[in-house]
Amino acid sequence: MHDKQFMKETLQDSAHAYKEGRMDRRTFLALCGASGVALNAVLAGDAEAAADHVVMWNWGGQSEECHGSAIGDAFTASTGKGLKFDTSGPLEGKIKEMVDSGNVTADVADADLFNAVSLGPTGHLEPIDYSVVSKDKTLPGYALEHGVSVILYGYAFVYDTEAYGDNPPQNWADFFDTAKFPGMRSLYKWANGSLEAALMADGVAGDALYPLDMDRALAKITSIKDNSLYWGSGSEAHSMVVNGEVSMGMVWQNRGRNIENDTDGRYKLVNNQALAMPGAYIVPKGNPAGAAVMQFIATAQEVPAQLALLDCLGMTPSNPAAFGQIPDDQQDYAITSAKNIDKIVYNDPDWWGKNGGDAVNAFLEAIS
Amino acid sequence: MPALTRHIHPGWLIIAPLLVLVMALYLGPILNILWLSVTDPEPGFGNYAKLGESDALIRIVWTTVRICIITTLFSVTLGYSIAYAMVHCHQRQKNYMLTLLLVSFWISILVRTFSWLMLLGRKGLVNVTLEDIGLIAEPIAFMRNELGVLIGMIHYMIPYAVLPLLVSMQSLDMRVMDASRNLGASGSQTFWRIYLPLTTPGIVASTLLVFILSLGFYVTPAVLGGGKVLMVAEYISVQLLVTLKWGTAAMLAAIMLMGVLAMLWVMSRFMKLSTVFGGAAR
Repeated sequence: MHDKQFMKETLQDSAHAYKEGRMDRRTFLALCGASGVALNAVLAGDAEAAADHVVMWNWGGQSEECHGSAIGDAFTASTGKGLKFDTSGPLEGKIKEMVDSGNVTADVADADLFNAVSLGPTGHLEPIDYSVVSKDKTLPGYALEHGVSVILYGYAFVYDTEAYGDNPPQNWADFFDTAKFPGMRSLYKWANGSLEAALMADGVAGDALYPLDMDRALAKITSIKDNSLYWGSGSEAHSMVVNGEVSMGMVWQNRGRNIENDTDGRYKLVNNQALAMPGAYIVPKGNPAGAAVMQFIATAQEVPAQLALLDCLGMTPSNPAAFGQIPDDQQDYAITSAKNIDKIVYNDPDWWGKNGGDAVNAFLEAIS
Repeated sequence: MPALTRHIHPGWLIIAPLLVLVMALYLGPILNILWLSVTDPEPGFGNYAKLGESDALIRIVWTTVRICIITTLFSVTLGYSIAYAMVHCHQRQKNYMLTLLLVSFWISILVRTFSWLMLLGRKGLVNVTLEDIGLIAEPIAFMRNELGVLIGMIHYMIPYAVLPLLVSMQSLDMRVMDASRNLGASGSQTFWRIYLPLTTPGIVASTLLVFILSLGFYVTPAVLGGGKVLMVAEYISVQLLVTLKWGTAAMLAAIMLMGVLAMLWVMSRFMKLSTVFGGAAR
């Protein structure tokens, strides 16, 4: 362990030397080769990441550009370190595989807070350093040992104004009422959000959802099975609505504005009873950049970064200091805006972290 | 050395590197999967016992097998008539047909899957046209259900079905058919009693190829099934990536592997498999 740390530091120094031209490439690579630690990083093609970059593991698409401009620029300005991306999507199984294989190439994963609950105790994540990261710059209960919520996204729904224009649906009860509101529905395929929506539709209060009553939720889900489709990605949810396959569709709230624009306002977002999901930054165990990543996370918590992420990706701020500064044109879409914050409910990452796997399987079995 | 070469053909030396690669990169991971299926989350056959306990797992396996059988049936039947037409038309037309076949073979599965949505979806070309000319009032649900999955899979599998059949048909000695007609058999008698039996190895080859490839389908059912058609491959991926039940995933993978091997074994009881894979029947 000691040796490993020593090699890593040697390598960081030599990486600086290499960057500044004091060491040639061959010597640098030979040094990398001599140390077991960084050989992996060399194989992955970014040896320098070990020294002066933080590698963010996200979902690609627009997020690469947005994370760069919203967080990366400020992070580079204050620390001199760059930001690189791995856009392959940090699913829980991939994080576990990366850490188990000993070939950790990412520093921070753009994941869900419940991942911190399930992967933290098994030793796959670094603890968050709360001397650098602030517990006050996120919602209470969303700063956990192995992960901190940096943004919120919501499970909300959109409806077809041409079908229900005179008497629009107001809440999840209307969403699940296919007699009063005939038409197809779409829900998230991996249970999250869909279960909570079903329980609220069945009359459970938003603050009494957890622990989820699985039988009750699944009964409600299967009651509209013949009238529903299930999506597995944000773009699929988007296309099911935009292509007119459904009259009401559950979506990630940050997609709401794009859907309204793409359909010229025919579909409208409803944020009442939206389920706020804590999107979290988590750090794979043994990340190459070490403690430097904590500063990156702290940067993402700052108000300017929070507002920039809202502007660029539609992700809602989770830092209460930013709530009051949400601009007027985002009031309808951000779930923690003054307009919406009293109408939303909150996800419990602890329940999902401990029961999520079984819940997803039970859900898949019910809908297939 | 001479003593050694007397027992081991020097040809083995040439293929040795390949064999070592296959062993290391293919057998290794497979053994690892088998090992995982009896060790995760705890040692024993608990993962396999789940098959007996859980109706859901059986249902997923059954859905997969059912869809694969139907896909194979249609792909091979349609493929047979396509191959038949190709063998028996003029060279020029045959080249056109082969080109079309290969082009569809090369188009990405994602593109082909999403094209079906644009064509047969609720607001797709076919439904919109039928609605516009007043033939239907409500769109027909071609997609986002099992029918959609079957359409997508059969379409994807037809080129795979055609190629082995084409090879088999091209190698037939057509004078046998002439002899049959000469001896007084009708056209259909000649087909059913001479042509079809002679192409059996081709049929078996394309059946095996299509069925085995179908078992691993992931993208098509996930997209065209609307989330309600759950096949083994997608379930395995969810267990690996989302629910972290790697033991269950490994167990299902092992079951699929053994199912395929068992199928090959049963086939080998009835016929020489070497003829299916292009060897001579002796």
